[in-house]
Amino acid sequence: MAPANFPIPTGSLLALGVLLFCIGLYGALTKRNLIIVLVSIELMLNAANINLVTFSRLGVAPSLSGQVFSLFTITVAAAEIAVGLALLIAVFRLRRTSEVQDLNVHKW
Amino acid sequence: MVQYAWLVPLLPLVAYVFLLFLGRKAPEGIVAGVSVVLTAISFVISLFVFQAVGSHPNGNDTYVFHWLTVGSRNFDVGFQVTHLNALMLVIVTLVSALVLLFSKGYMHRDERFPVFYQYLNLFVFSMLALVLSPNLLQLYIFWEMVGLCSYLLVGFWYFKPEAALAAKKSFIVTRIGDTGMFAGIILLFLASGSFDYSTIFSAATAGTLSFHGMSSGTVATVAALLIFMGAVGKSAQFPLHIWLPDAMEGPTPVSALIHAATMVAAGVYLVARAYPLFVSAPAALHTVAWIGGITALLASLIALTQRDIKRVIAYSTVSQLGYMMMALGVGAYAYGVFHLMTHAFFKALLFLAAGSVIHALDTQDLFEMGGLRRKMPLTTYTFLAGALALAGIVPFAGFWSKDDILGATLASGHPVLYAFGLLAAFCTAFYIFRVFFLAFTGQPRDEAKYEHAHEGGWVMAVPLVILAAFATLAGFFNTPLNHHGLERYLFADYAAPHSAAGTDVVATIGQTYPENIGLMAVSVAVGLFGILVAALFYWRPGKGAERAARMFSLPYQVSFHKFFVDEAYEWFFVGGGKRLAALVRWFDVYVLDGLVQLLGRLGSVGGRLLRFSQTGQIQTYSAWATVGLLVFVAIAVFRIGGVFG
Amino acid sequence: MSISWPLVIFYVIALLTLCCAVLMLSFRKVIYMALTIGGVFVGCAAVYFLLGADFVGVAQILIYAGAITILIMFAIMLTNHEAAEPPLSWNLKNVASAVGCVLLAVVLLLAVRSTNWPGGGATTDINGGNTNPIVIGLMLFKQYTIPFELVSVLLIVALVGAVILAQDRKEDE
Repeated sequence: MAPANFPIPTGSLLALGVLLFCIGLYGALTKRNLIIVLVSIELMLNAANINLVTFSRLGVAPSLSGQVFSLFTITVAAAEIAVGLALLIAVFRLRRTSEVQDLNVHKW
Repeated sequence: MVQYAWLVPLLPLVAYVFLLFLGRKAPEGIVAGVSVVLTAISFVISLFVFQAVGSHPNGNDTYVFHWLTVGSRNFDVGFQVTHLNALMLVIVTLVSALVLLFSKGYMHRDERFPVFYQYLNLFVFSMLALVLSPNLLQLYIFWEMVGLCSYLLVGFWYFKPEAALAAKKSFIVTRIGDTGMFAGIILLFLASGSFDYSTIFSAATAGTLSFHGMSSGTVATVAALLIFMGAVGKSAQFPLHIWLPDAMEGPTPVSALIHAATMVAAGVYLVARAYPLFVSAPAALHTVAWIGGITALLASLIALTQRDIKRVIAYSTVSQLGYMMMALGVGAYAYGVFHLMTHAFFKALLFLAAGSVIHALDTQDLFEMGGLRRKMPLTTYTFLAGALALAGIVPFAGFWSKDDILGATLASGHPVLYAFGLLAAFCTAFYIFRVFFLAFTGQPRDEAKYEHAHEGGWVMAVPLVILAAFATLAGFFNTPLNHHGLERYLFADYAAPHSAAGTDVVATIGQTYPENIGLMAVSVAVGLFGILVAALFYWRPGKGAERAARMFSLPYQVSFHKFFVDEAYEWFFVGGGKRLAALVRWFDVYVLDGLVQLLGRLGSVGGRLLRFSQTGQIQTYSAWATVGLLVFVAIAVFRIGGVFG
Repeated sequence: MSISWPLVIFYVIALLTLCCAVLMLSFRKVIYMALTIGGVFVGCAAVYFLLGADFVGVAQILIYAGAITILIMFAIMLTNHEAAEPPLSWNLKNVASAVGCVLLAVVLLLAVRSTNWPGGGATTDINGGNTNPIVIGLMLFKQYTIPFELVSVLLIVALVGAVILAQDRKEDE
């Protein structure tokens, strides 16, 4: 008899990650508000974190490294959002807008 | 005494440096005095060296010290005294001292008088060092230095456009030959492992030259021909003779020293110096003979019709150098060198006499002269001595040497070359006496110029007299009367203990040709006939010459235009170069530039089109990145397989 | 077959999380979006707890659900808090993005489904007998000391940088 498996199947967890990632991607590609774009990117990072933690428990060689790595990711994400929002505020002060479409100084 | 031979070139160098320090404002007397005295001391030392070499033919005569080592090769510098060198030293120092003295009068009140003497001293130094060089590398260095001095002196009056052009022409045309010569020297170095004459000669005669599988004879022939190229350039042989007449734009003493007596003879000297090499390459020797013969005839034909007194003498020089080359080419080594010596004297004399005339009349056109015999008797009689020597009339110097050459040419089995030489001898007698009759006899053609004509003072008279004496008597150095003293002297270079060359080569070099009274008579008769014809045409002002010119209009024009050699070069090399350049330019502008332009346009148009992809919208870029990601993921998943099936 | 409660809870949580995410995309007012993202973060934290990653879950709640959500709120307030997304327009870019995202999801889901994942074992203990936070702390200070310190430097830099970027520079005007 095969040993009992973890109650939640790996595939379901990964599927959750995939769906969250794609939702975040869609948001990042289509939303007009810069804040929401940033938030969508956070969503994608979360999806990646879910994968990391999943494999830390359910991978071929389970270990804590995945969790530690996701901790780093969370930290970096925090730094990123802080800088991103600071940039946003600076841009808003300069251009009076927080819409992605208006930031097109690099247009041809 | 021989070990002090290095003093001979050193003294002119001292004079040069001294004049450099004196500067441009130095008084003429000191400048000329120092130069003449030092060169005269050189001449005296040369005489001692000449005598010492002759009396101790077995002495060790090479003095070298180590210069540098490159890889496993050692290069030496130093000096080497042979019989040939010693003779050359005497000739060069004697003519130099006299020309330096003459220049004092000729260049009087020239603004750059001290500079002129600086250049002349530098030239004398270079020429003497060239003569003493013990190896080809050192020779090449001084070879270029005399070329440089020639350039500086021809262009001495650089503010005259013709002089500047002539200087450039002389330098460039000579360079053509020098390039070949340098290639020849390098070939010899690679084939024999040394620049030293003795090493090269022994390798050439022993047949041990080797270069990339070529046989020794081939290497010797190629190298000899390449070195002969340098001689052709320097000695103004056909087809590189065109620079010498133009070089007459320089001051006349320069013409006398450099372009008659010494530098142009360096080519002949080079062939004579490298004679064992040429002897081991018979094809090269034949080339030398034919080039010499053709040059002798061609130049003398051109000289028949020139109007400029210096140009006539310049073509005469080319012609006489041709004689020397022909002599060397047919195997008459000693006669070539003998003619070099006599020619140096009588041609320097002719140039200095012509310089005296130019100095007096301020013109070089023969048809503005006339009747100078009454105003300038000394110049007239010295010029006559030189002219008789050139025409080969007994017992003047030119008779002995030229007759030896002609006799040897016939005796060595070259009847065609003998005919060339004989015809050239007739022309020589004609053109030089044409000059003599036009300039010194008859009535003055330009009264104003004639009025202020005068002799040039003792500094100009002394050299003329001394040279006239040599032009008259120098032939007796090598006559049956003294048992061919010069020949025996020169052949001592190849006598047993000295010679690096093989015995058969020595035999070839040492070959003598017996006097042939019949041929002598023919030569003299031809010379006299030439003088007679010249006298008929030009003794009294008459229409004979013009009628003859009209009668033989075509040959006259061909000769007057120097056989159109300059024009041919102009058309072929300059014009051809321009046409080629135009073609290449067309190719460059329309094909290469077109290609480049096309590439540029492509980039430009592509960039203009691709510009519209830059919307400045970060989300558009991200969308494209997503598409790329999708494609890569799909490809990766598909390749792993098992997903879509 | 008995009902596996952790599995049921997982599916509920997953469903709620996805709902929050979709809601976030469909709201028009920016402030609502920010609120729903908080739900997504909490959902993720719950998943971590289910997987036995207690420390990561707590950190997720503290940093994401707490700090970052609040930070986003502040940013919205400081900028244009009335901002609203325009109604969804079916322009080329949006359609292409949607198609791309859906295709990517399909490909990845197919890949996930067709792969044979290891089961993980019901009793596997990756904490080595200790509680999860203790082991994580030990790892951070032993095995991952240098990355840990580097991250702290990064945080400092980000903090200072954010302050400098966001401060009002009068001299620029």
